[in-house]
Amino acid sequence: MSRREVTFTKEQIAAYAEASGDHNPIHLDDDFARTVGLPGVIAHGMLQMGLMATVATEAAGGPDKLRRLYCRFAGMVVPGDRVMFSAEPLTAGKLDLKAVNQKGEAVLTKAVAEHD
Amino acid sequence: MGAGAAGVAGRTYPPVNFQIEPARVAAFARAIGADPSEGVPPTFAAVYSLGATAPQLFGDPQAAIDFARLLHAEQEFTWARHPRPDEAVTSRGRVASDVSRRGMRFVTFETDTADARGQPLCRSKALFVIRS
Repeated sequence: MSRREVTFTKEQIAAYAEASGDHNPIHLDDDFARTVGLPGVIAHGMLQMGLMATVATEAAGGPDKLRRLYCRFAGMVVPGDRVMFSAEPLTAGKLDLKAVNQKGEAVLTKAVAEHD
Repeated sequence: MGAGAAGVAGRTYPPVNFQIEPARVAAFARAIGADPSEGVPPTFAAVYSLGATAPQLFGDPQAAIDFARLLHAEQEFTWARHPRPDEAVTSRGRVASDVSRRGMRFVTFETDTADARGQPLCRSKALFVIRS
């Protein structure tokens, strides 16, 4: 099983916003995030999926091997959250992926990867 | 979308060209803790495929997406081939489905990205949920 634990930070979320071009203020501005009912800034779902993909890539044997990646964004991730990403072979060419926070809650669900 | 308004399923958007810039790829790789020397991270598709086309949907007055109430609920990428740094790619987005039920609107947005020869690279399928 491939796994990786990540403690999310505002700096990392801001770096992802910059690199991805997703500057939605719910990821960058605590005050704005609160005006739309969030506890403060939250991590991009695509940052979570990107981190998950690094684990899937390792389990698949390299980024070029990945053929499909799917997940549901089931839970919010805020700075300070600690998420364990893991990939476990399901059948040949298929990986079961999990992303579970420090409270034991799945933040990504139904996550799977297919690879060569 | 107002009550009774029709959805925009089937709507397509003009192709968007995107250059896979090595510096941007490296910054993206660092942001997700990937090794920049391993080439284009698979989920850079969030930039060259989904990210290139989603603004067309969000900015489309007829689609009338309330961005402040939008949640990215599900995402799928499938790859025929992963692009290389410095490749020029072209993405085409379309609304695959648009249904409203129980006060929520569910928009499935699909993007097909091809290389300079028109050969497929990636398909992105995003489910957006807009709370009313």
